[in-house]
Amino acid sequence: MFSRRFQLVRALAVVTMLAFCGAAVATTLAHLSVEQMTSAASMVVRARCVSTEARWQDGEIWTFSTFETEEAWKGIAPAILSVRLIGGHAGHLISTVPGVPRFRRGEEVILFLEATRTGDFTVTSWAQGTFRISRDPRTRLERVTQDAAGFAFLDSATHQFRESGIRNLSLDELRERVEAAGRLTGSKQ
Amino acid sequence: MNSSSLRAAAIALIVHAFMAPCAGGYTFDSIVPASGGCPQPGHRNLASGASINRRWSTSLPATQSILTTAAQGTPAQLDEMETTIKQAFDAWTGVSGTLLSIGTLANGLAPLVRTSAQNACGNDQGTNADGLNTICFNQSSAAFAFGVLAFTRTLTADGPGVSVGAGAPSAFAGEILDADVQFRNDGQEKFATPGALAAAPGAYDLESLLAHELGHFFGLDHSAVWRALMFPYAPPPGTFLGSRPSAQFPDAPLAEDDRTGLRVLYPDPSDTVHAGTISGRVFPANPFALAALPSPSAGGSVTGIFGAQVVALDADTGVVIAGVLGGWSCDATNLPAQFDGSFRIERLRVGRNYKIYAEPLDGLAQPTDVRNVTGGLCRADVPPACAVPAMNTNFAVRIRPSP
Repeated sequence: MFSRRFQLVRALAVVTMLAFCGAAVATTLAHLSVEQMTSAASMVVRARCVSTEARWQDGEIWTFSTFETEEAWKGIAPAILSVRLIGGHAGHLISTVPGVPRFRRGEEVILFLEATRTGDFTVTSWAQGTFRISRDPRTRLERVTQDAAGFAFLDSATHQFRESGIRNLSLDELRERVEAAGRLTGSKQ
Repeated sequence: MNSSSLRAAAIALIVHAFMAPCAGGYTFDSIVPASGGCPQPGHRNLASGASINRRWSTSLPATQSILTTAAQGTPAQLDEMETTIKQAFDAWTGVSGTLLSIGTLANGLAPLVRTSAQNACGNDQGTNADGLNTICFNQSSAAFAFGVLAFTRTLTADGPGVSVGAGAPSAFAGEILDADVQFRNDGQEKFATPGALAAAPGAYDLESLLAHELGHFFGLDHSAVWRALMFPYAPPPGTFLGSRPSAQFPDAPLAEDDRTGLRVLYPDPSDTVHAGTISGRVFPANPFALAALPSPSAGGSVTGIFGAQVVALDADTGVVIAGVLGGWSCDATNLPAQFDGSFRIERLRVGRNYKIYAEPLDGLAQPTDVRNVTGGLCRADVPPACAVPAMNTNFAVRIRPSP
């Protein structure tokens, strides 16, 4: 009985949640489609994280992640990229900002990047502009999942909310969407 | 055992239920102390005798349209915004059974003050890590990226004796020393006070966003319990979730899960009403399903479901009372943390009956939403070394009675 009742409660909760839920608020993000992010980003790259380091700069803890560029889907990317994001662990202090992506050495990701005024890069819309690459253990095909998968975002055109995170999408399909949006097939390395 | 067999496995939930007062970890941001030991949840120090400072920047952006108020004229607008901020705080301090409750710890929160500094939350000039807790609507932080509307940044100590700015040194690992709430000010989106929301359908409800952000201010992370204020989704523009606070029910926007979380972080020792604990472990029905998972530490293994959301329902009303992220335990005499499927739901009202279920974080709440919770379970620079396993979302739920 409990199991059946629980399933009903959960189903109702999900249905109602889909009707009401909105943007993530710990960090509130405006909805951006892949095409919009491509337009906003100065570069879209496939990259491998080679190191991360958190340190103080200008009164704030930042995590600087260094990436080796493997492919540039939009823009002309340097071989080595430095990505700056707020938060991290420096000295004896931990700076926490929900919604900011964190990277591990060796991890492969697709990043939508924009230049900062300090000469490095940040990730467009943080969790929304970060896609983790995984390989299907059976087919070896590469797939991507957006860090923000599961979030629901505001559509600024309609002012409606909808769940729009990308989960388990073929890497090739994402690349086609980015390249179609950017019309930059000639910028691959 | 491969992942497909794990996916097919049902879990058995074994609940060792007992009711006893207890304090300890829940689904909060946590950190392994620099000196080693078990992960400690991040929270404020209410025992220091000093009240928690609070201020907000009255320097409003040039594009006034991002802050919509019902009142006319700047002084009245500021008063209305301050009322909204106070109500958002009151939602948390109005929870019974906590040290933040009004009257229990009269010195807990300092009066909300105004500052005219334009970038009181952070100006990239080295003054923002000042130990002052601030809410700002007019920021120039370099942290903002395209599409980011607002965020909260907390600074937490990883041991005693750590200080920032003029603030007092920390007394323990996990002490929150500074929190700043920052709203984007470039006019892309609007925020409205409750009084102005109806006339601004495209604006976010400022009170809902602030109340959620202040949950982080006090140390709570996201909850995967639907309708909890700390669930990581806000109501659409022009609407708000839950109820508005009132003099009689100042904590009205909160759900029971939010209240329970706050009671665990700031328990009132004199509270005998919310003194119950339910603990247990979540296992796969087939224990061999865990054998293929990478070892989290030298000689260690994953021995239970890691990352299950375990929820306590009131058996009579069906209301979700609390949900915790389960999957690990820690014994300071047997480090590091063990990924054994343990969970612990504390500060439950005594004299009630509860039903417990576990579910994977494969719905709208995702492992990435609670990364701050699990990320602190191991620390690379503090022995003994361990690595946090991937959260297990490949299981189905089947409930059976405890043995």
